[in-house]
Amino acid sequence: MSIQVQNISKTFGTFAALRDVTLTVARGELVALLGPSGSGKTTLLRIIAGLEQPDRGSGPIRFHEEDVADRGVRERQVGFVFQHYALFRHMSVFENVAFGLQVRPRRLRPSKAAIQAKVHELLKLIQLEDLANRYPHQLSGGQRQRVALARALAIEPRVLLLDEPFGSLDAKVRAELRRWLRRLHDEIHVTSVFVTHDQDEAMELADRIVLINQGRIEQIGTPDEVFHHPRTEFVMHFLGQVNLFRGRLEDGEVHFATLSWESPEHAQLPPRPVKVFIRPHDFEVATQRNGDPCFKATVSRIHSAGPNVRLEMVAESGEHLYVELPQDRYRDQNITRGSQVFVTPQNVKVFADDGQSAETPSGSRPSDSQLPSAEGRFPGPSVVPGGRHDG
Amino acid sequence: MSVSASITDRVSSSGPRAVGRATTEGPLVRWFLIGTALVFLGLFLFVPLVAVFAQAMEKGLGAYFASFRDPNALAAIRLTLLTAAIVVPCSTLFGLAAAWAIGKFNFVGKTLLVALIDLPFSVSPVISGLAFVLLCGRYGWLGPWLEKCGVEIIFAVPGIILVTLFVTFPFVARELIPLMQAQGSEEEEAACALGASGWQTFRRVTLPNIKWGLLYGVILCNARAMGEFGAVSVVSGHIRGQTNTMPLHIEILYNDYNSVAAFAVASLLAMLALVTLAVKSLLERRVLRRLARAGQSRPTGG
Repeated sequence: MSIQVQNISKTFGTFAALRDVTLTVARGELVALLGPSGSGKTTLLRIIAGLEQPDRGSGPIRFHEEDVADRGVRERQVGFVFQHYALFRHMSVFENVAFGLQVRPRRLRPSKAAIQAKVHELLKLIQLEDLANRYPHQLSGGQRQRVALARALAIEPRVLLLDEPFGSLDAKVRAELRRWLRRLHDEIHVTSVFVTHDQDEAMELADRIVLINQGRIEQIGTPDEVFHHPRTEFVMHFLGQVNLFRGRLEDGEVHFATLSWESPEHAQLPPRPVKVFIRPHDFEVATQRNGDPCFKATVSRIHSAGPNVRLEMVAESGEHLYVELPQDRYRDQNITRGSQVFVTPQNVKVFADDGQSAETPSGSRPSDSQLPSAEGRFPGPSVVPGGRHDG
Repeated sequence: MSVSASITDRVSSSGPRAVGRATTEGPLVRWFLIGTALVFLGLFLFVPLVAVFAQAMEKGLGAYFASFRDPNALAAIRLTLLTAAIVVPCSTLFGLAAAWAIGKFNFVGKTLLVALIDLPFSVSPVISGLAFVLLCGRYGWLGPWLEKCGVEIIFAVPGIILVTLFVTFPFVARELIPLMQAQGSEEEEAACALGASGWQTFRRVTLPNIKWGLLYGVILCNARAMGEFGAVSVVSGHIRGQTNTMPLHIEILYNDYNSVAAFAVASLLAMLALVTLAVKSLLERRVLRRLARAGQSRPTGG
């Protein structure tokens, strides 16, 4: 069952939670709504579910071509998993899962035996068959989460909506449950949308990611697309650590700090201030100058626990740099605190500096004040951008 | 599957931790606090209660039970029971509706409604009674109209029921509002999303969650409905055998120097209070036991 929402806006008092959001989720897809808290992602999910009404003038909400905007949550037949599970606390696991079937009008209600069979089938699916008679307070967070999921699946929902499904679990259970949910989705293939503020979760779980900021969709794409080709500054910022430099675009070249970066895509644009972003793992670190333009920097801190070594440095020109290196490369270089190193960017992203540039590039949409992102190359020895992405 | 096994294993049971020595006061302080409470309770609760029963039994059991055979006493008991039978369900319904509205929804004037619900608590019952006299009495605002319709309210049973209703309606609401606010409406939303109708949601999700609070509110409301004196006294007119409730009847007997009968009826009211207390603590014990059970099996992680 596909989901299609068009031009959805939602205002709470004077606060605009969603502004003109349009989104299509294909049948069987698993889509993440990713954004910081207060970005409107949960509101969008609740509007799809029918738990919240969009503002007047909003467009249709379609489940498989059928407009359900006028239907309440009761008639939309959605499976909704709440952030804090919202299990019925006075009912056992079995009763919780059976609830959706038992409240059906008599003519649609399955027989007792059929309900029993269905519930047991679901409990088997979530691997909690032995705990059918337990009460929610007797379960761990991860188990409650799975019961909530089974309860939502019991009504054979047309779409499955999950609000921060792993939000209140500890890191280890979270990772386990995430992989389990992905396997489950591959098994049952129900069109699913989940809300999260955790980019790792979105990257690992989702077929496509919808990045939402301040009530607007910033970018929609596969995890690969949004990570490697962020369309806006927000997306760049949100999907991991960045080093930010303010620079200037002139004649197809970006000047920042002591470096220049060729940006042929922007050659036709008039001179303007820009923001330059470099991911921590998009640096090459050497102890000898190799001829490439680079920052000369002093290592001020080393965090070597974890898959990557994280280095904090201060460039000669005063900028603070945050660099990540794989463990083996770090050991090869023999870097210690106070070492002098030469740091070469491998891949940079350039966006117009919103604060200062009034005019927009091609002027398509007023919100689109960013330049099309550019993955430029350094003059000199050309480096394949995106060659190493271990973050 | 290994994934689920490792998730399941995270549930471990740990009993409620006993209060450690480090967090208690010294014996002197403990005995002083407990002693003060006991002396206070004894002086102000136990001794008066014993006095009531002692006075009632002064002339023997025969005289004690004879007090209840008096037609006026019987009429007072009947009227009190009738009042409670009408008032308690009304207050319960109102309390449920108000708490549901306030706890689960946002609307304009909510704060005002909450303040208004507290009103009967914050004004003296005598004033509540007087307000009804001013409203429905012969010279009150509605008085002439009521007289024309032939409806008697003041100095009659309807007036007694009305003021009792006024005085007791906050009990259930007050008990339920904080409870429902704390519980939020996620479970109700979940029920709706699963296709339950409004009534199904209320009966199968909301009501079970508030049943203890509701019962407690009903008990308090009942105790007050039967025991209310001030407001009822103003509107009743003290017509023996007709508009006297138990508390009013007791006062009349007492003023007639018929202390055995007065204390006998009083002991009946006190007994009601005792039964109410017993039921209440029984309920509390059940709730505590449930909580303890929940605590014992509460998972530590995950």
